[in-house]
Amino acid sequence: MQVFRAYFKVMRASAGTIAIYVAIFLGLSVAFSLAEAPQESAGFAQTRTSIAVINRDGDAPLAQGLAGYLADTSTVVPYPDDPEKLQDALFFRNVEYIAIIPAGFSADFASGRDCAVQKVIVPGSISSRYVDMRIDKYLSTARLRRQYGGDQSEEQLVAAVGADLAQETPVAVLPSSATNGAAQGFVFYYRYFAYAVLATIMMGVSSIMMAFNKPDLLRRNLCAPIPARSRSLQLAAGHTVFALGCWSVLVLFSFVLYGRSLLSSGLVWLYCLNTLAFTVVSASIGFLIGGSVKSVGAQAGAVNVIANGMSFMCGVFVPQSILSKQVLDFGRFLPAYWYVRANDAISALYRPIASALRPIYGDMLIQLGFAAAIFATALLLAKERQAE
Amino acid sequence: MFMHLFSYRLKCLARDREVVFWTLIFPLILATMFYFAFDQLMGRQETFSPVRAAVVASDAYRQNIAFRQALGAISEPGEGQLIELTVTDDEREALRLLEDGAVAGVITVGDSVGLTVGQSGIEQSILKAVLDEYSHRYATVTGILRESPAIAGELIRELGQRRSYTKQISFSSAEPDTALNFFYALIAMTCLYGGFWGLRNTTDMQADLSPQGARRSAAPTHKLGVVLYDLAAALTISLAEVMVLLAYLMLVLRVSFGNESWYVLLTSLVGCIAGVSLGAFIGTYVRKSEGAKTGILIGTSMTMSFLAGLMIDTMKDMIARKAPVLSYINPAALITDAFYSLYIFESHRRFFLNIGLLLLISSSMCILSFLRLRRDRYASL
Repeated sequence: MQVFRAYFKVMRASAGTIAIYVAIFLGLSVAFSLAEAPQESAGFAQTRTSIAVINRDGDAPLAQGLAGYLADTSTVVPYPDDPEKLQDALFFRNVEYIAIIPAGFSADFASGRDCAVQKVIVPGSISSRYVDMRIDKYLSTARLRRQYGGDQSEEQLVAAVGADLAQETPVAVLPSSATNGAAQGFVFYYRYFAYAVLATIMMGVSSIMMAFNKPDLLRRNLCAPIPARSRSLQLAAGHTVFALGCWSVLVLFSFVLYGRSLLSSGLVWLYCLNTLAFTVVSASIGFLIGGSVKSVGAQAGAVNVIANGMSFMCGVFVPQSILSKQVLDFGRFLPAYWYVRANDAISALYRPIASALRPIYGDMLIQLGFAAAIFATALLLAKERQAE
Repeated sequence: MFMHLFSYRLKCLARDREVVFWTLIFPLILATMFYFAFDQLMGRQETFSPVRAAVVASDAYRQNIAFRQALGAISEPGEGQLIELTVTDDEREALRLLEDGAVAGVITVGDSVGLTVGQSGIEQSILKAVLDEYSHRYATVTGILRESPAIAGELIRELGQRRSYTKQISFSSAEPDTALNFFYALIAMTCLYGGFWGLRNTTDMQADLSPQGARRSAAPTHKLGVVLYDLAAALTISLAEVMVLLAYLMLVLRVSFGNESWYVLLTSLVGCIAGVSLGAFIGTYVRKSEGAKTGILIGTSMTMSFLAGLMIDTMKDMIARKAPVLSYINPAALITDAFYSLYIFESHRRFFLNIGLLLLISSSMCILSFLRLRRDRYASL
């Protein structure tokens, strides 16, 4: 067991770097989960667009009514009437729509003159149509009420419009999926999981392999009385323990952060299987790097480029649904693509039924296939080096 | 004298391949990744595809002509199509479609109109909004007709007319493209990575840290001269790297920086000054091993870039609103904001505020590290 013990002595040397990766990932996860609004109710929650409403028409009842209606149906983020601040807000998508009710709007509307609410939007966005729809609805209802509703004061008119628009379509949610849905925090957690597990395991496994592959050390070990097979097996055992350790820390933390919602989704075991498959992939890549690079600098470079590169091209950092087809076609040749694909499929499941699970198992097997191929390449390289 | 020291310093630095990788190649790789990842987000219009829904053809549905017409109008293929409708015979079949994910929601018509969905989301919300619109219209029309039934014909004609009550305006000609901030933050990161050169300079200058430092401390050249020439060399190489990155971003990836190239150059120069000074500052004040110094430099520049939005696009704005002080003292945020102001604002007020603050921060770091170096005296070399 000397090799196995030496494994963890070497590991202690690079523990700091590995801990940094894990700490950054966990820190970000906590930040994300805190930023996320708690979704306690199992009912239907209407999507609310974030908007800014600038009312330059003051106390006019119609302008107030419209602003109030928008506040009821969207999330109004308070902003002062300052173009620079509003531009910031739109650029960073704090609001997706800025509605400006111009001065004299209510009076113009009452006398039937042409008038419009000014809007500043992200061109062509879906959410802006959603808000357009609401403003048009409010004002066209007001127009009908004014034209045909007989004599009434502005306040009565606004009240009548409000009553008309208070109707709500009842929405029922399928019971089996009440806790599910792509918006759950743990879905993001398990997507970013790929980056964390890849970076930490690559770093750890490659550090060990580099240490054991140092020419002098390797030669000394080769003439040691321990059989080569036993040494390799002990190293493999070390890699397994280390990889499983990283994996379980990350999985355990997901329980700490999302325990109840994660357990009630009934999909934990699928997430675990998928991450386990990717853990094997990460170990294989670390194994390959450890056998190919010589300096610590080159190792850090390789780990960063591979972890970031795969995460960007395969949909870890940016969802696959947003990536272009060309990038996805390229991503297919990388294991992380299949991890994210399986992860997305798991999060979209209503219930784990056999027909829906088959493609997910397929994606996991492909990952294991990648891992096998990478291990084989690394072993081949090691063999050639030994022959030198 | 200047040319001699300067050119040898330049050669010395440029041969450090590892630092060249982190300060030049790594940003180029990241830029390429950003480009591919945000390809779909940049400068392209979001597209809307109709929401798939099923409706149960109950007796109530068949008899409700107004509702069927309303649904028909919005599910007709073409520009204004909001939903893609599947009509099913019974509720079981519709619910099966929902469970399989073939539709986002099931519309049921009984005494009133209802909706069944599998989860909350934008598609489901659009479905609900469409159904709400119908019931709102229904409420308005019945309300008016209850008071004056005679105008039914006129009212129905009026209902057919749709008017838009919104008019699009814009504050400036620049489109608000969130993906740009990633690239701006990346340049900021590259500028701050110039700190590696500043750090290297201080190591090669202090007699207790490197043999080169010992040799150079014994040389008769004035310390201030050496510091300034080294600084110039580090700045030159760091600026050259940022220029390569900028050229790659502008010419190959076609990232927009507005139309004022000179101001872009000025920002890069000031950014590099900030980076090199940061490195020099850490190199003189942190009394630890070289590895620890490099770690601290990477940690600081990464944290600064993170707060400027390198990883999360909304981070910079969030900091600016929640903890504004941070965005005035964070060099990465200042660099990013300088590029952003150039792109989006017509006036240069905010741009020059950023540049001024950057220069202030850099010069204080430089002065502090020179004060420290100046007092170095060695009992024995």
